[in-house]
Amino acid sequence: MTAMDARAAARYADVIRLRAVRMVAPHGFGYLGQALSSAELFAVLYAGHYDPGRDSLVVSPGHYIIAAFAAAPEAGLLDEESLASYGLDDSALEAIGTERSPAVDLTGGSLGMGLSGAVGLALADRLQERPAARVFALVSDGELEEGQVWEAAMFAAHHRLGSLTVLLDANDSQVDGPVSSITTLEPIAAKWESFGWAAFDVDGHDTVALDAALRAAVADPRPAVVIGRTSTRHGLSVLPEGADGHFIKLPADLAEAAVKELEARLAR
Amino acid sequence: MPGSSLNRQPYQTVIKPYGRALVDLARERPEILCLTGDLTRQTEVDLFQEEIPGRFIHCGMAEANMISMAGALARRGFLPFVHTFGVFATRRPLDQIINSVAYPRLPVRIVGFMPGVSSPGGPSHQAIDDVALMRAIPNMTVVDVADATQVRAAVPAIADVPGPVYLRLKRGEIPVMFAPDHEFSLTRAQLLSEGGDVALIASGMMLIAAVSAAGALGAAGVGVSVLNVPVIKPLDTATVTRVVRGAAAVITAENHSVIGGLGSAVAETIAEAGLGRPLRRIGLRDTFAEGARTAPFLFRKYGLGTQDIVDCAWDLLHRDGPPPLVPAIEAAEGEYAPV
Repeated sequence: MTAMDARAAARYADVIRLRAVRMVAPHGFGYLGQALSSAELFAVLYAGHYDPGRDSLVVSPGHYIIAAFAAAPEAGLLDEESLASYGLDDSALEAIGTERSPAVDLTGGSLGMGLSGAVGLALADRLQERPAARVFALVSDGELEEGQVWEAAMFAAHHRLGSLTVLLDANDSQVDGPVSSITTLEPIAAKWESFGWAAFDVDGHDTVALDAALRAAVADPRPAVVIGRTSTRHGLSVLPEGADGHFIKLPADLAEAAVKELEARLAR
Repeated sequence: MPGSSLNRQPYQTVIKPYGRALVDLARERPEILCLTGDLTRQTEVDLFQEEIPGRFIHCGMAEANMISMAGALARRGFLPFVHTFGVFATRRPLDQIINSVAYPRLPVRIVGFMPGVSSPGGPSHQAIDDVALMRAIPNMTVVDVADATQVRAAVPAIADVPGPVYLRLKRGEIPVMFAPDHEFSLTRAQLLSEGGDVALIASGMMLIAAVSAAGALGAAGVGVSVLNVPVIKPLDTATVTRVVRGAAAVITAENHSVIGGLGSAVAETIAEAGLGRPLRRIGLRDTFAEGARTAPFLFRKYGLGTQDIVDCAWDLLHRDGPPPLVPAIEAAEGEYAPV
């Protein structure tokens, strides 16, 4: 990715943030923190690596579906207008991903299952002889507390599913507070490496670093994980310091300030 | 009755009818995959591993991953058959079955061996609640087969069910109760005998006991209907209602807890049809089953024997005198007689 593309990806990430703010604003609260932390992960993935016609995308934690929806218009997966129905009664765009969620191959609200699904899709690609197809799975750090993630990690490495790439949003946020205050996950990269994966540990808001890591992950013959170190408040300075990363309160005045901040940055 | 002739007791047994049936079907259906959770020989799929290794997947002791992966494979057009013991197939990965398979209504076939107290392996190995768990899940079909003839018929029959299926199977030597003319149906329960005093409604391993009990009761002048219900969900409520309407009393028999399985399904059907028939449920009475070296001991200890069905019917019908004794049937090596 050139410096110019990196800037475009950073701008794409802010577009994701702005759309997410607008999707959450009518409700007054929601999964905005997940979009703020994963915005660059989605932007770099969609801008430079993921081909919806060839690859599969799994969003393991269904709470992150807001970010996939917000990123989808540029990839031709969703009309921008439909984002306005996010979280409304009878909308297919439910706030926590369901079987009806558009724009992804697999998602779900019961956490820790998505990587197994991604492994199944990668295995299907192998059995059906689609060597060019890749499977990208967004996984959250909180999900690493679920044993099933490690069952899937072991299976993927044993079967050398090199077409599988995990984007791990290490935002240190779960319902009860910072993940690090509840369960010690570190050393995250060493855990994956010891399971037989290639691991790349980078600043998850640095589009240049993310792009390089994804490139290396895809090239590696092993299944690979790109660990993006992120924050649930990144890119939105108007949010209060103590904002709950899992479920951010966004009253009308704060939403207005957030839109203003992001629009100003995008106008530059 | 068409398609319901029965062999004579003691029944001959066969080895691995399921494993053979799956290989035979998989040869015609290239989309079939065989997944196993570290119980390959025990679930009869060593045959599959030998004959079709390219579609055989060892998943190890990781049932959650196995089920979610099977769901993803089914999304891509495969027909995954997943194998382990019934306890491990249903209890540990319940959330995965619900979210990765049943909610998306994917054609994964979950095959659970060693139903109820057929295992002397203690409560950890006894699937006494698997039917209840699977029956509560939307989109799920639940099948509990009685003998080797049904096993051979059920495998191809479930292949084309659009959603997920839980198939419950005895392991080891499988009796052959039904003659080759047996008509296996996923939609119709099958009346094996007709009588107006008591209806015995049974599934799985308890069907053989119900047939034996009907013999003893019939010899003592009791009119007995025996209804073969291999599919517990969706239950053929029309036939159940018709048979119950024609009987003075009803007994269900299942190798499972009396809570949530066949007995519960029949009770719901009777109540919703507004039929006031006395009902007794033969099965595990809300208990774990301990203290066994052999399965027959457990069937007797927990009231799942043929004599228990006879005694129950006698009591339910308020018959005078002692209930008839079920004649003991000697089963030689390679033969099977119900407890």
